[in-house]
Order: sequence, then structure tokens, then C-alpha cells
Amino acid sequence: MTLTSFQHILRRATRSIWENLYLTAVSASVIGASLILLGLYSLIQNNLSTVIDSWNKDVHVSVYFADDVDDTRRFELRDQIQNMNEVVKVRYVTEADAKQWMLEEVSGINATLSELGDNILPASLEITLDAQMAHPKRIEEFATRIDSPDFAATDYGVEWVDKFNAFLRIFQVLGTFVGLLIIVAAMFLVTNTVHLVIYNRRNEIEIAKLVGATKSFIILPFLIEGAIQGLIGALGALTGLWLIHQTLVNQLQQTETLKMFTQLDFISPGQQVILILIGLSLGLGAALIATVRFLRKVG
Amino acid sequence: MIRLYNVHKQYGQHVALRDISFTVSKGEFCYITGPSGAGKTTMLKLLYGAIQPSAGQLQVAGMNLSLLKKSQLPILRQQIGIVFQDFKLIPTRTVGENIGLALEVIGTPRALIERRVQAVLNIVGLPGRDHLYPAYLSGGEQQRVAIARAIINDPSILLADEPTGNLDGAMAVAVMDILQKINLRGTTVLVATHDAALMKRFPYRCIRFRNGQLEKR
Repeated sequence: MTLTSFQHILRRATRSIWENLYLTAVSASVIGASLILLGLYSLIQNNLSTVIDSWNKDVHVSVYFADDVDDTRRFELRDQIQNMNEVVKVRYVTEADAKQWMLEEVSGINATLSELGDNILPASLEITLDAQMAHPKRIEEFATRIDSPDFAATDYGVEWVDKFNAFLRIFQVLGTFVGLLIIVAAMFLVTNTVHLVIYNRRNEIEIAKLVGATKSFIILPFLIEGAIQGLIGALGALTGLWLIHQTLVNQLQQTETLKMFTQLDFISPGQQVILILIGLSLGLGAALIATVRFLRKVG
Repeated sequence: MIRLYNVHKQYGQHVALRDISFTVSKGEFCYITGPSGAGKTTMLKLLYGAIQPSAGQLQVAGMNLSLLKKSQLPILRQQIGIVFQDFKLIPTRTVGENIGLALEVIGTPRALIERRVQAVLNIVGLPGRDHLYPAYLSGGEQQRVAIARAIINDPSILLADEPTGNLDGAMAVAVMDILQKINLRGTTVLVATHDAALMKRFPYRCIRFRNGQLEKR
């Protein structure tokens, strides 16, 4: 194809967009709305993963001493654990330290604790593990390894992190499924919209074929049109997502209980590029399907 | 320029053309005639590759249409000009754009298209009308625009399917004059018509069909 041919094709595409402004807007809006939904899913998924990662990175195991374990044995166990390769730090928390912590954290409990006596809370070891241990199974294995009759209880809080991870996995599977549905639905809608544009220009196509237009001369303007619609839709979606993100950040900053989400990240540059590529593919794919379907029908 | 050997065209059980053989030489002006339903339009459709023969051999501008692949159809269409009874102009394009389309599809630069449009508009007697839309032209003028589009890339063959069918007497004569002028420039012209008066006024060779068969070649 010569440069002049491409110029003619490009001019036909831009002219068609101008002449079918309403249908172009409909296609771009459908693509944009679908990409906003996909982008929102990515936004939620990203931030949930970040929260889980931050929980996982902070790998802690607490072991509570049985009442009859004396200080010598406590220090012996502390040193044994401290010498393990995967252990970063061990903090010995006495009964008094635990009571103090409870007093600081729970307001109004002072009188109750005083009545119950000094050793109401057990002494414990707060073990910080290496970041490489940030996996529920590894933490569980570690907890089993250090288990001893001298410990009354072990708490490593992975159970609910595990459950949350399972929820996240279901969320991922559902997200992928819903995402695919959204893409297929958008493709269907855009294909039909492009089909309308082509139908509006069926006489022109027939005449172009009669004067010797090649298949590429007929199809390419529609593909360019589709790609432009996809690009407009994708850029619109990114703008919309950014506005939603900013609104959410502002709302969360004003809500005390949701402060942990105030570091709400926007989708990564890679994901932004993927959204633009999906938009382009949607526009191009829909235009290709509609054009080929139309040309097959008219022969 | 055009050769047919035992061409047969059938739509299901209906035989549209039966065992047709004739030759049209380079630079010839010739009518394809016959009553309605005789097979004139089917004949022209075969010649510009809109349909394939069911049997027989068909050669147009050096191309064997019986063996023509779909992808080669544009090459054939770029070598022939086609004029229809209903003009087939794009209403949303100006006269200049309608005529220029035939050059646009072969990648001709815009400046050259504009020059050629002016030249063919002069040939068909519509100078300076390139900026108008077809709706602002009379039937005769629209047909002349269609002829201008058909000849803008200097085709070796011009096919016209009832080009005067929608025009009154004077307009029909004007269109025939133009076709004659184009033929004098060396283009082979084939006109499908059943207008006996016109054929009498512009006497040329007649290929007559009746019930899908050749009556006179």
C-alpha cells in the first residue's frame, strides 16, 4: 500500500467519525464504561493485595508460657528460638508488661485488672520472623517446630489471613470471569454499533467495490475508526478511574476507621497500558468482526 | 477485448443465459439488447465479475473471468468503467468526490485527482460542477457524473447498463453523444438497452438476447 493510499484511507476514517459522531460517541462510551469496570476491579485487587502483603511481611508468632515455667527455662527457650535462622528478633514480654499493655490499649479496664491480681495475663515471647517466612504454611510449620509443653498457647494469626487470601483468590477468579463477560458484552455492543455505521455506508461500499476498491481499501477505514474509538474510550476510562480514585482517597481520609486504606494506590503504569491496549483491541476487533460480517453478507 | 465461449449461467433451476459465444473487438461500440428478462443485465454482471459463469469461458481485458479469484476482482474493475441506470452516486459526497473515488481506490495523489476530475467534467459537459452534491443535479447531469466516474481512469472497456433508462429523450441523446465521444477516444463501449429509437439514432452492432439465448450476434 502506498503512502497516498494510506492518506486516502485515513481521510475516509476521520471523515466517517465526523459524519457518525453520535455512533462514535456510543462506541467510545461503551468501551470506556467497560474499561472503567475492569480498571475498578484492578484498583480493588491491587489495594487488597497490598494490604495482604503488608500483613504478611509483618510475620509475627506469639507463644504464651504455661504458669509453672520459671524464668530460667523462659530465658533458655527465648535463646533457643533466637538462635534459629528464620528468627529476626525475640522479645520477652513479662506478665507485668502484658498487663501494662492491656491498661494502655483498653480504657476503663484498670479497676477490673486490679481486682484480678498481677499475673492475670501470661508472659510470652513475641517472635519476629524473616520476611521469607511470609507464607501461612511456613509460619504454621515454624509454630509446630517450636511447640513445647512449656508453652500454654501459640498464636500466629495466619488462619484469618489464610481465609482472606482464599477470599482474594475467589475474588480473582470471579473478577476474571466477570471481566471476560464485560469484554464480550462490550465487543457485542461495539460490533453492532460499527455495523450500523457500515450499514449507513453500504451504498458507498458497493460503489467503491464497483470502481475497483480492494478489500483493504474498504476495511481499513473502519479498522482505523474502531481503533480511534477504542483509544478515546480507553483514555476516557483512565480519566474516569483517576477521578474515582481521587474521590475515594478524599473520602477515606475523612473516615477514621478506614485510615489503613488512605494509601490507596492507582493502577500501575503497566495496567494503564494494558487498559489502553484492551480498548484498542476492543475497537479494532469489533470493527473487524462487523466489517467482515457485512462484506460476507453482501458478497 | 471481450470473448465469450459457450457461457452458461444458471440460478438454481432457472437458466439465465444459455450457451453464449461472441466477441467484441477493441475500440468497438456495441449494444446488448433484448426484451426485459432476456439476460442483458446478467450478461453485464458477468462481464464486470459480479457473478461467475456456471459454465464456459469468459475473457475480459485479457483476464479469464472463469478462473478469476475474488482477490483479483479489483484489478478487473480498475480496467473497466461501469455506468448504471440508477447512476449509483454517493449522495453525501460531492460530484468531485464521487468521480475521484475511482482514482482514490488506486492510490492516486489528491492533486492529480482534482486535475483529472476537472478534465472529465469537461468531457461530459459539466465543467465547474465538482463542488455540488448529486441531489442538486438533474437526472441527465447525474448520469453524466456517473459516466465521468467511469472514464476517469481511462478504462479500456466501458459497460453501461440501461444508461438512458431513467432519462427523457433529449437527455438520453446527450448521454449517448458522450458515450460515442468516449468510444471515439478508443474505449470499447458496451451498452445494454432496449431503447429501439436510440439504437436507430446511433446505429451500431447489436447483440440481441431472447430468453437467455443469443438471437443475433
